[in-house]
Amino acid sequence: MTLYNRYIITVALFLLLTTVILIAVGQNALDIYLSIYIIEALLITELFVYFNNKARRGLAYVSTILFGGFIITLCLQIVRILA
Amino acid sequence: MKNKNAYTWAGLSLLIAGGIISLPAYFIFHLIWLTALGICMLILSFILVALGKTIPKLPPEVCSLLLETGIDNIATLIEELGIKSKAIYLPSSLANKYPRAFIPLHSNGSRPEITKALPQRLIARYGSSPEDIGLLISTIGSTATSMLESKPGATPDELESALTSLLTGKLGIADSTRVICNNNHIQVEIHRPRLENGASWSHQCLGSPLATVVASVAAEAWDKPMTISQEVQVNGKYSVELEVAK
Repeated sequence: MTLYNRYIITVALFLLLTTVILIAVGQNALDIYLSIYIIEALLITELFVYFNNKARRGLAYVSTILFGGFIITLCLQIVRILA
Repeated sequence: MKNKNAYTWAGLSLLIAGGIISLPAYFIFHLIWLTALGICMLILSFILVALGKTIPKLPPEVCSLLLETGIDNIATLIEELGIKSKAIYLPSSLANKYPRAFIPLHSNGSRPEITKALPQRLIARYGSSPEDIGLLISTIGSTATSMLESKPGATPDELESALTSLLTGKLGIADSTRVICNNNHIQVEIHRPRLENGASWSHQCLGSPLATVVASVAAEAWDKPMTISQEVQVNGKYSVELEVAK
């Protein structure tokens, strides 16, 4: 199995497993799902250190988008708490 | 649209499916778990599209054709000359610009000592005797070494990291590597290699394509000439033993 496939399968498995666990515990807040997904995706990306430069650059853009999403979710939560 | 590969197609499909699932699930059906599944698909689609853009546009069949042609040409040359001696893998400091393989034309059992950089020619002289000549050729390993971001260090960990980065990350032809150093011997284990190894005369002289990559990287890391002393493939594990020249 190539490194790309291994990485994609790992991310997919983790995201799916998280969804199943969160549904099982009765979690009903979308921001919790979103935050965990983003943290998992960023962590797994960091763990795959042997990607080539091009792939690393491409994934850095994805990580930036995901991190942006995480910050927006966080800001919305803070606003909700303060309001 | 012509150059889109499987990753890009899968990414675009997941992007559409994710959008179709998450938006109605959130705004119409108010189902959080289904919305979350849609978001999963969107995250995976971003990753797949990003990785799809990094796949070379040249089809693997063309790459294989070029590789086989190159190997075939070297094999023909070696077989025509009737060379039986084993190739010595030289670091860039001894072979000009990048690591290369040196095959002595005359072998009297002892390995030639190469102490200064050889000229950048096909037929290179390494000593004062008329018989001190050999072929200085580029192998797959020579080119592969140039793909490394920096010159690898001489410790087993650094060499292992460089080989894994090259064979797994950049070339995608193995799952992982393991390096064991023992005095003047380096043993490299390559797990689940995906490059076929022939058994021609040239392979006995130069080693398999995988072994040439390992030998070139190791020669560059140690900055010393290396020879491939043994190659064994057992249960999806390819083992290459290198001998460091004194």
